[in-house]
Amino acid sequence: MSGQFRPSRRAMLKVGLAGAATVAAPAILRLSAEAQAGPIKIGMPLALTGALGSVGQQQKRGAELYAKLQNAKGGILGRPIELLIEDTAGNPANCVRKAQEMVERHNCRLFTGITLSSEALAIVPKLAEWDSIFISSDNGDGRLTAESFVPNFFRANISGPMGTRAVSLYLRTAKLEKFYALGLDYAWGHNSVQVFENEVKKSKKEFLGKVFAPTGTKDYSSYIAKIRQSGADAVFLVMQGDDNNAFLSQSRQYRLPEKVKLLTEIVDLASIRAVGDASLGLIGSSRYSFTYDHPLNNEFVELWKKEHNTVPDTFEGEQWQCMKVFEAGITKAGGIEAGKLRPGLEDIEIESVKGKVHIRKCDHQGVQQGFMVEVVKPAGFDTPIPQVIATFPGASTTPKCNTMTFED
Amino acid sequence: MSTVAFLLTQVVNALSQSALLFFLGVGLTLIFGLMRIVNFAHGALYMLGAFVGYSLSHWSGNFWIALVVAPVLVGLFGAAFEFTILRRLYRRDAPAFLMVTFGLALVVGEAVRLTWGSDALQVPAPPLLADVIFLLDEPFPLYRLFLVATGIVVAVAIWQFLERSRLGLLIRATSQNADMASALGVDVKRVRSSVFGIGCGLAALGGMLAAPLVTASNGMAATVIIDAFVIVIIGGMGSFLGSLIGALLVGFVQVFGNYYLPDLALAFMYLVMLAILMVRPGGLLGKEA
Repeated sequence: MSGQFRPSRRAMLKVGLAGAATVAAPAILRLSAEAQAGPIKIGMPLALTGALGSVGQQQKRGAELYAKLQNAKGGILGRPIELLIEDTAGNPANCVRKAQEMVERHNCRLFTGITLSSEALAIVPKLAEWDSIFISSDNGDGRLTAESFVPNFFRANISGPMGTRAVSLYLRTAKLEKFYALGLDYAWGHNSVQVFENEVKKSKKEFLGKVFAPTGTKDYSSYIAKIRQSGADAVFLVMQGDDNNAFLSQSRQYRLPEKVKLLTEIVDLASIRAVGDASLGLIGSSRYSFTYDHPLNNEFVELWKKEHNTVPDTFEGEQWQCMKVFEAGITKAGGIEAGKLRPGLEDIEIESVKGKVHIRKCDHQGVQQGFMVEVVKPAGFDTPIPQVIATFPGASTTPKCNTMTFED
Repeated sequence: MSTVAFLLTQVVNALSQSALLFFLGVGLTLIFGLMRIVNFAHGALYMLGAFVGYSLSHWSGNFWIALVVAPVLVGLFGAAFEFTILRRLYRRDAPAFLMVTFGLALVVGEAVRLTWGSDALQVPAPPLLADVIFLLDEPFPLYRLFLVATGIVVAVAIWQFLERSRLGLLIRATSQNADMASALGVDVKRVRSSVFGIGCGLAALGGMLAAPLVTASNGMAATVIIDAFVIVIIGGMGSFLGSLIGALLVGFVQVFGNYYLPDLALAFMYLVMLAILMVRPGGLLGKEA
């Protein structure tokens, strides 16, 4: 069969590659054109179900209202905003998989709303490979802007160390001397409890001990017994979602607040609603509250009421602020490509629902003022509300660049 | 707090948790014992009980009405599900039931979210049980004592029902040999619907009773189903007494494990299950696999 044409393996490979390139070219060109002119796709792999499902749902609602109103005004740079929303159930492996799908299938290059810090810590190492920018709207773990910092990560929200710092600044003048801490047993809980412990020790007060509960814990009686036995004046809580609700309900049933003051890193309206009077007297830092007296916040609360017939909650406000940071950055950069948007976001300053937010260049943390609130029930309110009792300037609540520590 | 007071309060705590776990586990094990179905929707029905109970106590202003009516409604829903869907699958393999009950869990979960929203809802304990009593000078919530009492009453009632009532006799007969029971004139289909309904109602009772401790939330189904399976596996699939022992073991391990070994809180329950399965692969009172 010597006369028969037998293409070499190399020639076959060349033909194959050329064919594949011909088939793929329109798709690549379309994706590239879409990245520059199509809708602005923002990926939101959210914990919509699971113990922190209520947080994910808040983030979703915050982003959706922003997208709806902004699209009615013509979007950003004349391009409509398209949210890609998927449920991760709070699982970091799910989160990475869903985000990867958003990049590969939808050419998504912007991310926000990744609910848990453990999910965010799993995502950030991939951002360079995906050529994507991720602006956090709720991730508390200090490491995201410290040892785990990557250039394509930004944080528009108040971090765990910043919230904890506001609590510790407040406690410096409070008549509480001995502290215990209870945190959720994952990245954010450990990180914030550690920062709190350092702050208490620095202020020459007594830190008696700490304990961590797994997410999804239903019975807190053992933890309540530990807190009661510690002899602490106050317990610092780093809890969220269903766990926070369960702890607050049960601690009230055990009359723990009569003996030990409850302090928390986040005072969350959803938890207040869920546990009612069991939240009364709770003191803590606040990442966002509808009660902040700022013209932009008042305007936002009215918009929210019009849409949802209720006031916005913590992560709805935080997500709204995050979307405003996106808007300012994309407008300044003139596009969404990471190479343009990254410098566009650095050193940007916006006026937000919480006042000024400055995204500092060194570690991409949004510097903003810190709030301390107490849960009270004023006349005319059916349910308790968080009332601002102290504010601290961003310079005193934000850690040094790329760290989680404070100098004084 | 003295050591005796501490131990006493923790033992009562463990019993109250065991009671809640028992409502879940016994329903699951009854269903498995009779129908050889692993009901993946059990956690979702527990959650549904809490939300239906929330609405009923909200509308009626009475916790007790909700406590009685919510499990009945969810039980009827369970029986209707068996009647309309599961009944068509009995000649199929086990994976068909897994798929269908898993699907039911998804549908119920999403229906709850659409109906009641995604935020957790408050179900306060009734005023009669909202106070504390003092056990050796330590305040202890009355509601938890009520849970222990309810657990004992329900356990005795189920035991008597299975042992003494006619339906209990038919359930035991059907669970031992459904074909023989059918040949002897037992309406096996009706027995199956009843048991599935009772199991779902018990899960709902657990959810309603847990709501004042943990609030009614969308996330409550996911964590609780794992506990329910652990109880049933420890006790032995299909064994009523096994589910009681399993619930007590898991309740005590969780409460004391969280106190003495908080770092191993999650793993502790599984270590106990592993140890039991190594000695008795079919569970404490189950048949060997």
